[in-house]
Amino acid sequence: MLSADEAAELIEAIAARQDRAAFARLFQHFAPRIKAFLMRGGADADAAAEVAQEAMILVWRKAASFDRSRASAATWVYTIARNKRIDLLRRTGRPPIETEDWLTIFSTEGDAADKSVLDGQTYMRMKELMDGLPADQLVVIRKAFFEDKTHTAIAEELRLPLGTVKSRIRLALGRLRVALEKEEGDR
Amino acid sequence: MSRHPAPDELLLDYATGVLPEGPALAVALKLALDPEARRTVDRLRALGGALLETEEAVGDVDLEGALARLDGVAVGPRPAPPMPQQGQAWAPAPLRSYIVGKDWKRAFGGFERIELALHGDTHRVALLRLEPGKGLPLHKHVANEYTVVLQGGYTDNTGSYAVGDFAVGPGPQEHEPIADPGEPCIALIVVEKPIVLTSKLGRWLNPLLRWGWM
Repeated sequence: MLSADEAAELIEAIAARQDRAAFARLFQHFAPRIKAFLMRGGADADAAAEVAQEAMILVWRKAASFDRSRASAATWVYTIARNKRIDLLRRTGRPPIETEDWLTIFSTEGDAADKSVLDGQTYMRMKELMDGLPADQLVVIRKAFFEDKTHTAIAEELRLPLGTVKSRIRLALGRLRVALEKEEGDR
Repeated sequence: MSRHPAPDELLLDYATGVLPEGPALAVALKLALDPEARRTVDRLRALGGALLETEEAVGDVDLEGALARLDGVAVGPRPAPPMPQQGQAWAPAPLRSYIVGKDWKRAFGGFERIELALHGDTHRVALLRLEPGKGLPLHKHVANEYTVVLQGGYTDNTGSYAVGDFAVGPGPQEHEPIADPGEPCIALIVVEKPIVLTSKLGRWLNPLLRWGWM
């Protein structure tokens, strides 16, 4: 296992001194997880492995732009991996902006809430929180995260009125907000 | 909390990276101006991170192959902080690369605009600038329209919108936005399809305005 602090230090070691051993440890932790994450969304093993590899190469190239005060290592790697997936699998109508530009143009600035949800234990609770959503909300949120689908595409696929999908998303995010605020307040 | 927040479903689409460039730019500007929206997206990204981190590792990934590729791949430099543009203090960072070297152009109808070039998108995106008290012709939307106010404000039949407010096209309803007193109103407008003008004059102007609009 790799703690959030350890993962952050490994990315920083790549940025500071092109540390290949650090890259190898990050790769061993994240590449299989990226692959599993993508396969959960329907990608076949080969495509998932390719995206995982490409995403990790981008982790190497972009290591200097990682800022642990703005996002945890897992969140940062997730952002890179999901953009790479869209680049490579192009299952959405997203225009051909390279992931690198996408990350630069559309990076969020300023205070990051992620700071307060850094550790692995909290991640476990976030996942449990999501899995605990009512089934009709869970299916929509899972499709959004695992299958690269817009809420419009999800509505079409589930043959639901757009308004129904919107209200499920709003309810789900409301629950997540309340639970996370409570957790952040407990610290 | 902003009186006119961006809808949750749009923030979710943004956080999972599936929004086309035009709407993504609108949301990015909203985030730059609204800490509450930023918190929501940060939490959604953290949820993505949590789903990745708690995933069970599937074996059989090619570390040797990845290490071999690193020889040809340099670690990039730390990105420079975005420079404020002279005379464009109203433009949040995500907008700046889009408006380099661009100037306001007078549009038919008493407003000014800057058209933004996207990477082959289906959306049309423009900045509009309206002097206080000036309005846009009465029109309605045939598809989604997103508006983010960057300076000043405007009022229409759905309410008043100030800096950082986000409006989703009012659907079949007609509206006639008028700039509030004070600074000129500057807003980013993202539309999916051409706007249909409904006044008599508007209908006559429509073929012109379809292009003159943005």
